[in-house]
Amino acid sequence: MKKILMTTTAALFATSALADVNIGNPMAMTGPIPDLNAPIAAAVDLAAAHINAQGGMFADGEALNVIRADSACDPTAAVDAVTKLINVNGVTAIVGPVCSGAAIAQAESVSIPAGVLTVSVSASSPAITTMEDGTDLVFRATASDAYQGVALAELAIAAGYTDLAVSYANDDYNAAIAAVFVEAYTGMGGTVTANEAHEPNKASYRSEVATIGATSENIALFSYYGSGGITLMRNALETGAFTNFIGADGMLSDELIEQLGAENLMTSTFTTAASDSSTPSYGAWEALATEAGIPASDPFVPNGYDALFMTALAIEAAGSDDREGLAEHLRAISSAPGEIILPGQWAEAKAILAAGGEINYEGGAGNQDFDENGDVAGNFSKSVIVDGAWAAELIQ
Amino acid sequence: MEAYIGYFLYLLSLLTVGGIYALFALGLNVQWGFAGLFNVGIVGFAAVGAYSYALLTTAESTYHLGGFGLPLPIGMAVGMIMSAIVAGFIGLICIRLRADYLAIATIGIAEIIKLILKNESEITNGPRGINKIPRSWEHFSEERFYTSWPMSWFGTPENWEAFFDGLPNWYWQPLFAGTILLIVYIVYRMLERARTSPWGRMMTAIRENEPAARAAGKDVTRRRIEAFVIGAAIMGLAGALFAQHLRLIEPTQTFDSAKVTFLVWVMLIAGGSGNNKGAILGAFLIWTIWSASELVITGAIGLFGNVFQSVDPSILQTRAGFLRMMLIGILMQVILQRYPGGILPEVRPASPKATKTTAGSTGETK
Repeated sequence: MKKILMTTTAALFATSALADVNIGNPMAMTGPIPDLNAPIAAAVDLAAAHINAQGGMFADGEALNVIRADSACDPTAAVDAVTKLINVNGVTAIVGPVCSGAAIAQAESVSIPAGVLTVSVSASSPAITTMEDGTDLVFRATASDAYQGVALAELAIAAGYTDLAVSYANDDYNAAIAAVFVEAYTGMGGTVTANEAHEPNKASYRSEVATIGATSENIALFSYYGSGGITLMRNALETGAFTNFIGADGMLSDELIEQLGAENLMTSTFTTAASDSSTPSYGAWEALATEAGIPASDPFVPNGYDALFMTALAIEAAGSDDREGLAEHLRAISSAPGEIILPGQWAEAKAILAAGGEINYEGGAGNQDFDENGDVAGNFSKSVIVDGAWAAELIQ
Repeated sequence: MEAYIGYFLYLLSLLTVGGIYALFALGLNVQWGFAGLFNVGIVGFAAVGAYSYALLTTAESTYHLGGFGLPLPIGMAVGMIMSAIVAGFIGLICIRLRADYLAIATIGIAEIIKLILKNESEITNGPRGINKIPRSWEHFSEERFYTSWPMSWFGTPENWEAFFDGLPNWYWQPLFAGTILLIVYIVYRMLERARTSPWGRMMTAIRENEPAARAAGKDVTRRRIEAFVIGAAIMGLAGALFAQHLRLIEPTQTFDSAKVTFLVWVMLIAGGSGNNKGAILGAFLIWTIWSASELVITGAIGLFGNVFQSVDPSILQTRAGFLRMMLIGILMQVILQRYPGGILPEVRPASPKATKTTAGSTGETK
């Protein structure tokens, strides 16, 4: 046993000592949402594969290593995982973690004090906007819930829902977006007839559905499809408690069609963060993702690709794997002015940067221009069933 | 050189978290090891301590109640006191329950505490939790601390800013780890004193044979409440330190009973319940294994990929997290199989001088 431990430790030290560029990637591999997380992790790996296939990092083509750790969607695990990534693996930057709670805890406890750049894949909590005091180290490749909640409220008003019931899973993500939605919707003149939390992962939501079902024909449902959302919808459909369903990206998945049947989802509309399928950048991303067998439009999957690609571009632009000063380069490579770079165009970007030119990355998830808080503005789309499959349409 | 600092900082983080868990284990040791109270609601006391600390010491915030910005030691003291009050209240009601019934009651109470924290979102910000919790030593470099007393007596804000800019950005880490280890040591010394005192021996008597202790005129109920409250106060302190370490607490994932209650129980049982040294050893050992196993497993998968070039290791990488939990489970089985009384079994307090030669493992008696 001792021998095995010694050899594995030696192997570990050997791999991290190579002259490669290391990016730490804490992802919620275990914990409550491994099913949402799996395609995001695959997208992160895909970006690294593209970069390594197209000349790698810097002039001498160093390999880009994605060192994955398990943040388990949990502050304790995330803090521990990122401590190891920063101190033991010596990563240049952090891409991830997935959940807002884990992202805030790891940033405040480890990565900000250590001066390491974090680009979160899918942490959408409004608290992240105001989290930093003067440091410029936390960015995210996804829009804050503050934007999506408002977009969904506008959608509800536009669809003519004058009253609706709100049911949200009592977790950090869904509670946050529900709060923003309710405030925006009532502000626009809508009436919220019931606003109730439900506990995730219950076997049945019949009593919850019955309680709020009497108040309105319409429901705004904020939940993860994998941890109770589908069950709640099934109960609502079985009892006929609601006619119209709207919700945010936690609910949007092909799993819904498989489990509930497309014919039962004709009155459902779900928004999702930013996949403007008419843009060339989304087209480029979709082609790459389809080729690799990754669901291109699943929640936060393009964001995962963008986050790693932009972080790598920032390191490439900085010219070394030092941790300092990456924020400035991250802003430079992601926003105008500059040659537009689409997902997968690593070789082009590398050539322009090597020649001293400027680039502007446009990702599959949106244009990814960071504001002073490290947030990106949201594009949101609404998805409805057309011919038995989700069809996304951008909300203007 | 930089790599060595990295390893040193990782070692410090192991000591920090291990020390916090050691406090939890010491608290549980008072309840279970001394008095035989089966508390499966550790997470509830941890949450009370952590939330009390967080609400009292954070800066004013619109997300949750207050943010009263009080000095950190006050926050920690109130965390302890609140946890003790909750424990005293529970103790008055259900301490007479026999072992397994008390276990059920404590599980229920921990869940009630978590649900209150989760749903009283006006006070606790609900499932989104409280962030920006100040951490001991690191907090001195926050503007709101160095611009107010007592720090403003010793230097102007500009001087302090220059001073902290001159320090390496990890300056607080050895100090924070040292503070926690010091607290562990103080609590350990106090509990050792309690264990060998008449009070500790009475506890053992109550645990081993309650009717006999009662017949000897001991106030069994009172003693059990005392042990429950002291243990809970230590857990509350550990909870406050846990909040400092994480800097964000929320009720669902941070205070997941599988990660607090269960882990602390494993630490105490593996280390040796009834033995304060065992509780500390178990905490550091299990946390180190828990944390470092990720590095070892990642390394092992990398090695596997290098040795068997034809096999794609990515399938293993996506399962590494689950693999790690399985390995820890197996390790637990091995420890319990090898050391049924824990690695450091209990030493009976009745005759401290005789123990060196005659005392054997008493782990089997429970």
